[in-house]
Amino acid sequence: MTREDIKALILEIIHDIDDEADFDDLDPDKPLRDQLDLDSMDFLDIVMELRKRHQLQIPESDYPRLATLNSCADYLEPLLQDA
Amino acid sequence: MKVPFLVIGGGLSGLAAAIRFARFNPEVLLLEKHSRIGGLNSYFYRNNRIFETGLHAITNYADAGNRKAPLNRLLRQLKLSRDHFDIHQQICSEIVFRGAENLLFSNDFQLIRDEIASKFPHSSDGFGRLVTLLDSFDPFTIAPFRSARQFLLDILPDRLLVDMLLCPLMYYGSSIEDDMDLSQFTIMFRSIFQEGMFRPGGTIKSLLDRLLEHYRDLGGSIRTNAGVREILHDGRKVHGVVLTSGETITCGFILSTIGLDETLALLHRPPLSGDAIRLGFVETIYQLQASRCPTLPADRTIIFYNNGGSFHYRRPHQPVDFSSGVICLPTNFAELPATTTKEVRSTHLANYEQWLAIAADRQAYASLKRQTADRSRLVLEDIVGNFSQAIVFQDTFTPLTIERFTAKKEGAIYGNPQKIKDGDLGYDNLFLAGTDQGFLGIIGSMLSGVSMVNQHILNKF
Repeated sequence: MTREDIKALILEIIHDIDDEADFDDLDPDKPLRDQLDLDSMDFLDIVMELRKRHQLQIPESDYPRLATLNSCADYLEPLLQDA
Repeated sequence: MKVPFLVIGGGLSGLAAAIRFARFNPEVLLLEKHSRIGGLNSYFYRNNRIFETGLHAITNYADAGNRKAPLNRLLRQLKLSRDHFDIHQQICSEIVFRGAENLLFSNDFQLIRDEIASKFPHSSDGFGRLVTLLDSFDPFTIAPFRSARQFLLDILPDRLLVDMLLCPLMYYGSSIEDDMDLSQFTIMFRSIFQEGMFRPGGTIKSLLDRLLEHYRDLGGSIRTNAGVREILHDGRKVHGVVLTSGETITCGFILSTIGLDETLALLHRPPLSGDAIRLGFVETIYQLQASRCPTLPADRTIIFYNNGGSFHYRRPHQPVDFSSGVICLPTNFAELPATTTKEVRSTHLANYEQWLAIAADRQAYASLKRQTADRSRLVLEDIVGNFSQAIVFQDTFTPLTIERFTAKKEGAIYGNPQKIKDGDLGYDNLFLAGTDQGFLGIIGSMLSGVSMVNQHILNKF
């Protein structure tokens, strides 16, 4: 997966959680949680969907690395290179 | 048989926990000891009709746009739509302290603010302060017991108002006598006064059926008539259950929603609550012919009343304490279709021991049930007007009925006075959710199931 694919995947998962989420003014370097009003339970859904769709086991200590769209791409790019 | 994740108890917390897990992994089995799911909120058939066992109203009403509201968080976590709940909002409810004061409240929080400003002018500023304090208070951080009554008395100069605010919150969720934990109070204050009440159209059965269908669509399994006799364990590790049928099911993780002491009993451990008093209740359902009770109010949904001067919420010395209680008019929710029959339901505090003592004599027990229904009706008629002429059927649940059908020890619907807020029972792979984890009401207990699965189970797979 390319970085762009990964970002699209994250947005698709978020859209699945909240179909009214508005991505128009999303800043890829700012926390997703603040911009999209996601709570910790929603955030867990992103982790769980990544696990379900791509068998990724993301340890809790790495959750902060999924904070922004760009940091998601940084973190997931090596993990999803063959996906 | 072997399953990775087992949920004991098909009440709303167990159902929500199982759905939450099944969203990501269908290998989950839900065990329910009765033939029907629902736990406290189930249904039965009598007189060719379906009756709800426990439902008065669902608290935590929220508009669709309010993302942070518990109802909407729950819908997102379980991937349910609002249609699953088929929401009908309350019309208006009331706290009636006879001979003293009454307060109206609805799903518009401003109503109770205005009521307090006009009826308790000395407490109006205090109430504003209370709301500000509660807004900034996090009830989900685990903290030692703090008296909500004392907290209120420190802020509100009117003692009567303190009792009036506590009355509905206690009746809809306090497992302890004459007080509440401040965290519990805060949760209940938000869910009843600030958010509000609604009910599904149809009966609780339609909601349960929709939840079960959703669970099965996700691939989850359920077995009814499957009571658990024993949880097999070895030190801190559990590895399965033995059913009352003798069958053994091995499993990786267990979430029990059947209560703290009830779970410990399956582990052959003594109860943790000791002598703490459990609060029992009686409930009577009066089914009425609608055309024969035209004076029954159409603009009140739930009435919390107190006739007895100062308000007591404690185990009575007699079988039933009629001096306070709850009156529910389940047809008075917005936009419900008109029906030829109506219902009135009453709830009062009751003494489990006394009902148990008389139960050996079937005739005396039946007669006490009848007397209870009659006396309750007389108390209710003083408040909502006469309806005895319209009764076509009535049924009373005693603490023994509730114990038998919900397996809640001593018929205590709000469970153990002691709560295990983190769900940790001291085992590596067995956790507690539901009533004794401390979240109450349908939305609260469902969130309990969801949050315990989130915290303890999902990260293990």
